[in-house]
Amino acid sequence: MDGAKKSFPGKRKEGPAANQGKDTRSTGRSFKRVKFQDARNIRTQPSDAALDDGKLDLQKFLNTREFEIKALEASMHKCKTANATRVFQQVPRAMRRRTASHNVQRIPKRLRARARQEQIDDNTPTVQARKRRPRTTRARIRAETAKKLGILAARKRKREVRKSAGDGDTETEVGGGAVGRSTIQSRMARPKIRRNALNEPPKVESKFRKRQLNKTWLPTHLWHAKRATMTEPSKPLWRFAIPLTPTEKNYRPTHRASGQNGTLFWDTSYMSTIGLYGLAGCVERVLRDLGLSQEGFWGPRGQKWRTGLRKWTGLLSKQRDDIRRDIGPATIIWNPEIPTEHPEEAESVRPKKSHRQLFIRTHPSCFLELFNELLALAKTQAPQLHVEDLRFEIGSIELIGPGSTETLLGVLKPYYETPKTQEPQARLFRSLGGVTNPSSLPKDALLAFSTRDPRLSYPPKRVEVWNGGLVASLLDILTAWPVEEGLKPFGLFSRDTRYQGSRLPPMKSINRRKGSSAPREPIPAMVTDPPIPIILFTSRSRTDGQAQGTWTLLAPWKCILPIWYSVVHYPLSTGGNPRLGGLDEVRQVAFENGVPWFPGDFPGTDAGAKWELEQRARRKRDWDRRPKGKRVEWKSLDLGAGRKSEIGDGLACDFEQLFGLPKTSLDDQPEVLEEPSNAVPGKATTSAPPLAMVKQMSKASFAAFTTPSNSDNPPAHSIITANLTFVARGIASDCARIYRLPTRAAVVVRPSTQTEVPSTEPPSTGPRRLPSNLREQWLQKDPLGPASSNGRQSKKQPAPPRIPKGADAGTRKKLLTASLVATELPYPRPAANQSDVGGHPLCPNENDLIGFVTTGAFSLSEGKGTAIGSISAEKALEMLRGPGAREGRYCIVRNAGESVGWLARWEAV
Amino acid sequence: MVRLKDRYLLVNIVYSDVPAGQQPKAPASDLLVYNQPTTSELRPQHLLKALRSEVASLFGDCGSGAIDRSLQVKYLSTATSTFILRISRAHYRLVWAALSFLHQVPVKNGRPCIFRVVRVSGTIRKVEEECVRRAKLMILAAKREMSGKSSDALGALLRGKDNSRSLTMLEDPDESEPDYGDAMYDG
Repeated sequence: MDGAKKSFPGKRKEGPAANQGKDTRSTGRSFKRVKFQDARNIRTQPSDAALDDGKLDLQKFLNTREFEIKALEASMHKCKTANATRVFQQVPRAMRRRTASHNVQRIPKRLRARARQEQIDDNTPTVQARKRRPRTTRARIRAETAKKLGILAARKRKREVRKSAGDGDTETEVGGGAVGRSTIQSRMARPKIRRNALNEPPKVESKFRKRQLNKTWLPTHLWHAKRATMTEPSKPLWRFAIPLTPTEKNYRPTHRASGQNGTLFWDTSYMSTIGLYGLAGCVERVLRDLGLSQEGFWGPRGQKWRTGLRKWTGLLSKQRDDIRRDIGPATIIWNPEIPTEHPEEAESVRPKKSHRQLFIRTHPSCFLELFNELLALAKTQAPQLHVEDLRFEIGSIELIGPGSTETLLGVLKPYYETPKTQEPQARLFRSLGGVTNPSSLPKDALLAFSTRDPRLSYPPKRVEVWNGGLVASLLDILTAWPVEEGLKPFGLFSRDTRYQGSRLPPMKSINRRKGSSAPREPIPAMVTDPPIPIILFTSRSRTDGQAQGTWTLLAPWKCILPIWYSVVHYPLSTGGNPRLGGLDEVRQVAFENGVPWFPGDFPGTDAGAKWELEQRARRKRDWDRRPKGKRVEWKSLDLGAGRKSEIGDGLACDFEQLFGLPKTSLDDQPEVLEEPSNAVPGKATTSAPPLAMVKQMSKASFAAFTTPSNSDNPPAHSIITANLTFVARGIASDCARIYRLPTRAAVVVRPSTQTEVPSTEPPSTGPRRLPSNLREQWLQKDPLGPASSNGRQSKKQPAPPRIPKGADAGTRKKLLTASLVATELPYPRPAANQSDVGGHPLCPNENDLIGFVTTGAFSLSEGKGTAIGSISAEKALEMLRGPGAREGRYCIVRNAGESVGWLARWEAV
Repeated sequence: MVRLKDRYLLVNIVYSDVPAGQQPKAPASDLLVYNQPTTSELRPQHLLKALRSEVASLFGDCGSGAIDRSLQVKYLSTATSTFILRISRAHYRLVWAALSFLHQVPVKNGRPCIFRVVRVSGTIRKVEEECVRRAKLMILAAKREMSGKSSDALGALLRGKDNSRSLTMLEDPDESEPDYGDAMYDG
């Protein structure tokens, strides 16, 4: 038959083509080649098409052109559609997975069929890890064991089924009685909370216990570990495994979500909560000792805070040998008292004898310091106060961004819904729809109520939000803020309520109830669903009233995970879901708001000093790992005017150098780092590094020094945190050096402070004089500054006259000689880097060094470089008192390892 | 990875006389005369061969070696006398020069003609778009001719951003922009 076909070449046209098509189907690559060739081929007509019977004809001419247009357009279209992209490349970035190229299960369902076909066409090796044949001996043994165990389990199951079938009717009765039995069941033991001592982390599943020996997982750890870069297993941060940053690219999306559109959220369960219980007078004394000594706290102004209607956030400090030293920022929440209408409480004398409870929520890096300080203070009070470590009792979620209120409204459903039982604060919370910035609420607003299990209304539905701006009623609510009525003690303070709230029904029973209720309807609540006690509060960014505020949700540790799932999947009205943030995003948001981040930007606290030492060690390790030719050689850095080598250690914010303290050798540091990991109270301050002598000074106390009447000097070694903004160009990086403007008098470079610190450097040779007008040179760098107008002309020489276009050789020569003669160059020419760096002013000397940048980058919110740094309070005061406030606000920032500095303005924060 | 950098040339074959057999009854308009179809005997191979020999005679072994591998005919429509060439970016001028020196269709007893480079581009897409644009211009001109008005044949033939522009160009050849229409004048 085949042979017969071959003998008729005219009729065989279909045969081979079909055959070929079949072949190409089977091998994807050749099929693809044919596809591309076909797409690139442009159809043409023979020349006869343009002729009418061999004669030129207008109509035929027209037809050929039309045909050509169609052919070309078809070709362009085909080329575009037959491009070489595959379907997994079309998935949005957030949904992209590396495995999507070979595993169709990783692709959204609507694209899966196409992906499968593409894999067949391209002959992609598809692998399912689950079904892969074990390769190593160990894996093979494991697989065999698993198989045997599976057989055993199946046998056992079968036996049980047979057994239950034999029992028959009695078992069916139990099905009805199961609910009754569950109510009789003895309760699980409540977790112990020890008083005046540290508590153990919650007992974890044995499967995960070995991984949490030297750290604790957040309640959402398993969720985070798949989606974010975590701290290294062997190097936990503050004894927690903390997500550092999401795996997907997110620097710019974070900026948008935090300020313009959407929501950014964190699991901040690592923040530590401490409970403090005792008589009101004793509590007040303890808090006064912690630095809340201003009368505002204890007078009528602090009334709302003390009744539990507001929270307070600020720096706590401790007294050590006549010196107050900052511990770290903390939030303090008071539990409202039981209303006096209550019959039992009526006779008791309220003002003196009332027992108060409060939460102090602080950062884990300064938790131990604060806890020990609290313990010591509590013991000094006459009826002793009780201190409870509630670190693993209370977890928290933070949200920032315009959609944060909406997200919370969609996730948190009040537990008591009937008008009679409804909690007033829950009703207030429900009326917040339309709020796009939590800082539009009263400052430090606080709400506490009970919510339902969010899994009952999972997936969360979009909240109907009025989009026409703030409604009048909402404005009334925000200004009146009626939280006083019906104020009761918060559930979260009660250990029993917390425990009841965290005994949520298992997922299995939720699923069963979901199956029996109508689809997409929230599951009706049952009596067995416990109310979850929560506290919600807002915080404003410290610098700017317009900046986005933050919502913080406190809930029992075990309730964080169900709430988390609902937050993650909340569909925002502006599209998309809330974005995940890690520790880097916390820092980014703080940096963009111009707020210092604890502990990194507080090197004057113990926690901050520890952080700085850790960072030094990390930078040193990274520096050591680089090849010699590719790392900054600090000794050979040329600062101009004959000055060589970096000031101090280039890898550190070298406050020891600034204050002339003894150096911390880098070899000692690992021991310093190791020390805090053993959480024995009271051992933290045994060997203080020299950095611990540096003290943090608050903005308020610094402002007290700047008043004209005050001429005292600030305490030695004190630093203030400053927000730096570059006036024109420049971006600071970490450890950048901050200088003040040099004084007007002629500056002579002398190895001044190096007398205290023996330097290994040989004394530098060559001219040691900086230009006498260096200060003016720097002031000219400000485009808006006062000095810029008068100084500009003198600096630049007039340009030589241009040679006209049509000039002949003679005139050209003449003009050239004239210009050469006219140009006055300093002769002999100054050596490079002597008086300036290519026209840019030189950096001042080391005696003008005032501080270091702790965080610096290009700020997306400012559109230019900004930085947060710490500067010596004493030198800052000298600047402000000396030449006037305006020029005293200038500073020069030079990155470590670079010789060029940039002019910036500083502002205490 | 090294990207291959190419140029695509859009070329028109322009005639100025009508062979005896093709003369229609009514005298043929300029539009038809300039844009006659080329004989179907012209295959891409003929074109390539002619170009290679022309480049070899003009630029010697060096030139012919330079264009040898990259010269390719992407599209050849004899009905509309249009073709698209692909050539490496460094040497497209050699091919352009060779096209200017060709004076007849490279087949046996080829008719005298001009090869006019209309557009040079880095992507074939832009060349195709230009080809479509010119075809549309021609259709407009042909329709005007059919309705009895005299069309400006050269205007449709010569490129221009719009039709009016090409008219002025005709009147004042000095002002013509240094475009790819240069090839027109040395024919």
